[in-house]
Amino acid sequence: MNPDLIEQLQLGANDLPYQIPIHPNLVHLTLGLFIVSVGFDIVGVLFPLEKPVFKLLAIPATRSNFFDVGWYNMLAAAIITFFTVAAGFYEIMLAQPVAGVESAWGLKAMETMLWHGVGGVVLLLLIVAMTVWRGFQRFVWNRDRARQVQWAYLFAGLGIFAMMFVHGTLGAQLAAEFGVHISADRLLEMGQDPNSLLQPSLRGGQP
Amino acid sequence: MFEYLPPLNDHNLPYPDTMHPIVVHFVIAMVLFSVLCDVIAYFTRNVRLYEVSWWNLCFATVSIFIAVIFGQVEAGLAEPYTAAETTLNLHTLIGWSLSGIIAAITGWRYILRSRDPKTLPAPFLGVGVLLVGLVFFQVYLGDLLVWVYGLHTVPVVEATREGILQ
Repeated sequence: MNPDLIEQLQLGANDLPYQIPIHPNLVHLTLGLFIVSVGFDIVGVLFPLEKPVFKLLAIPATRSNFFDVGWYNMLAAAIITFFTVAAGFYEIMLAQPVAGVESAWGLKAMETMLWHGVGGVVLLLLIVAMTVWRGFQRFVWNRDRARQVQWAYLFAGLGIFAMMFVHGTLGAQLAAEFGVHISADRLLEMGQDPNSLLQPSLRGGQP
Repeated sequence: MFEYLPPLNDHNLPYPDTMHPIVVHFVIAMVLFSVLCDVIAYFTRNVRLYEVSWWNLCFATVSIFIAVIFGQVEAGLAEPYTAAETTLNLHTLIGWSLSGIIAAITGWRYILRSRDPKTLPAPFLGVGVLLVGLVFFQVYLGDLLVWVYGLHTVPVVEATREGILQ
């Protein structure tokens, strides 16, 4: 983004109008819900093998409940991810990454930001598509069957895990290597001392 | 003794990137979603959501112990500078406490569920709401460590190794 345009906003040392970026916090929800959803569907499909384990642990378990977790967690992931991507685009437009360094994957800051941006939209699309697919399996095709999900769906989910790993690592590199939206990194870049400027007392006495 | 340990990279870690912020996905998302499901189930009487809540809570319990282990390793390697120390100490203290608190709440839920999986007493909901408050505060502290203090980020590790940050 053009630095002159960014200067129109009142921003802190982290290049944001608030202390802590929102996108990474919503990411916890997107990834946690999606991964656990597919995980519990796998548990549901493999239920006959696990029965003795649940019995040994004295945890009452019903197969259909695992598919309930699969469905509701996926639905929640799809809803929250719209906000994750929206917050991500707001914050990526305000990013001022350290120039002239390469990430551990040999990418420059701009390449990393572009791939992370495109990847985010693709992942949103895939998560929504998975939710629709999951909905058809739950409410139309397999509604009367003991096994609610297809192997193809689970393998698609595992493929998306792999994509999430690559995508998430790019995002982590934007923060931990290019210093995007990290107050201490931005201050060091400007030649200032985080130790004196980021003391708890200067942040309103918060811990 | 130190020569037997793996070498540390430019994040001051023996492996490529921090693991703790990844493992905590499964504590944060699962605790919040578990309480949300309880609240929705309580008011809509969709009892299926009580089971969704229970399994999410179970998963959160397993995850928080893994999160604490990685958190402790990475806190030990963080070399926090003076300004970051109090936040890291409080985050560590609440993190260990949360492992006990979440395990205890899951145990309580196990008993409630064994007696009657189709109802939930209101006090459990109240405790769930308190738990959400504590998790939010803990996430805020973790956010400060990463996004304000930049622990384990390349520029901060570099400045610490050069003696600029102490």
